[in-house]
Amino acid sequence: MSATVLERLERLPRRNLTVLALRGISTLVPGEWRNLTSADALISEVIGSDDPGLIAQVRARADLLSRARHEGYGRALSLYDAVDRSQRAGGGLRLLASVGGGVPLLRRVADLTPSSDTLQAADLGLKVTAELLAFTQVNGLPGDSFGDFAASLAEYGSEARVRMAALVCFDALLPLGDLALQRLDELLGRVGQRELRELPAYRGMASLIPGRGEQAHLGFIRRGVDTWLGWAGGFVSGLGLSGQKAVQALETSLGPWQGRFEQLATFLDVFTDTYRHTGTQAVARRLVERAAAEI
Amino acid sequence: MARLIRWGLGLLLAGALLIAALLLLPLGEWLPGGTVGEVPTSAVVNGTAFNRLFPAAEPGEQLVFTQEKRGFSQARLKQGEATLALLAIADTATAPEARQKFDASAETIAGWPLVEQGPQASALLVAERFQVKVIGQGTGLDELQRHELLGAFDLQGLAALQAPALPQRQAGGRALNRAAEDA
Repeated sequence: MSATVLERLERLPRRNLTVLALRGISTLVPGEWRNLTSADALISEVIGSDDPGLIAQVRARADLLSRARHEGYGRALSLYDAVDRSQRAGGGLRLLASVGGGVPLLRRVADLTPSSDTLQAADLGLKVTAELLAFTQVNGLPGDSFGDFAASLAEYGSEARVRMAALVCFDALLPLGDLALQRLDELLGRVGQRELRELPAYRGMASLIPGRGEQAHLGFIRRGVDTWLGWAGGFVSGLGLSGQKAVQALETSLGPWQGRFEQLATFLDVFTDTYRHTGTQAVARRLVERAAAEI
Repeated sequence: MARLIRWGLGLLLAGALLIAALLLLPLGEWLPGGTVGEVPTSAVVNGTAFNRLFPAAEPGEQLVFTQEKRGFSQARLKQGEATLALLAIADTATAPEARQKFDASAETIAGWPLVEQGPQASALLVAERFQVKVIGQGTGLDELQRHELLGAFDLQGLAALQAPALPQRQAGGRALNRAAEDA
């Protein structure tokens, strides 16, 4: 049996490149970011008590809930896993392409890899889609009206601010430039069925995306990204995010960087998994909030 | 003859591969089912039915729904950026043990038993089935404020919900409890 959500939370690293990158990016966002990896600490924060009996009850309930496939908590995590694998593979390709460009024998490989911007846009599109799907898996469709649902999404967005900042900076502003959000729709238009099929994350997610066939899925991804762009645009302008600021923030925790922005993005893609890291933390919090209400 | 053996071996290999794949691949995670505590979803009230029973937000506060699942609905009571409390209604069909704590309760709100869980949580059991809970967040709420919030839920509407019968296993348990009380 696979690990429960809380077990996976406790296995998250306490200090590595991922955590350092997140700590850096969190300086751009108001409020303090803590790398939460203790299930007991999370539970006692939610229930406002450190009574071990109560904590054990909440934990048992949370484990029961995350083992129930129908409840979607585990499914959300497998979405994040799929995206993470894809990110590493995509980053690896780009790393190979940028290194390979200088080595005659490997130049053929560099020529074969799809244009970096298109691949990056498709990757971001899949991440945003995974986020929307994971949201409905974890939270259902809260409220009775579309307004309720939108409020619920906005609430999640402000709760997961560091997560969203990491997504915007690492996957949009750094690799695609400061106009990334404005260019994204056009870039996604260039993503064809073949490119989509080549993304490992897509294979893991295809069964959860509404619609039949790649064309329908591409349509869903573009609509999902459109919705997200409206929110993300406000987020970026509200916090004044830019590639330059992201690099400066990262330098506070990772040390100086002298390469190009997109090289930094590739480096982060290959060596960190911020998306899965913060995703596990976000799912764990919602799960514990529910378990605390049900014991 | 040799050809027959080759075919037989081939079929055997293919069969072994198929069986191994079915056993080893994590296909189960994607199959439907796998409900909480193996209670069928038809025995649990859908969370949608709970949404309209939540208290209306006071001026200056907002109620933001955060989760809605089978047998569960949850909202946050917010004042500006700060979350004051988590409000939730849950069907205890999947958590019969959650009902036990109310046996010892002395207090009531609107006639339903009330229990405190730690310094920040108050719970109410309505119609021996639905648990209504308020959990203070951050600086928190005092007991009186939590009880006021619990009273502000539409408890009558909740008690009047048409709930499917509890699964047999737990209904039997309840009958036993009642027999024990009678004795």
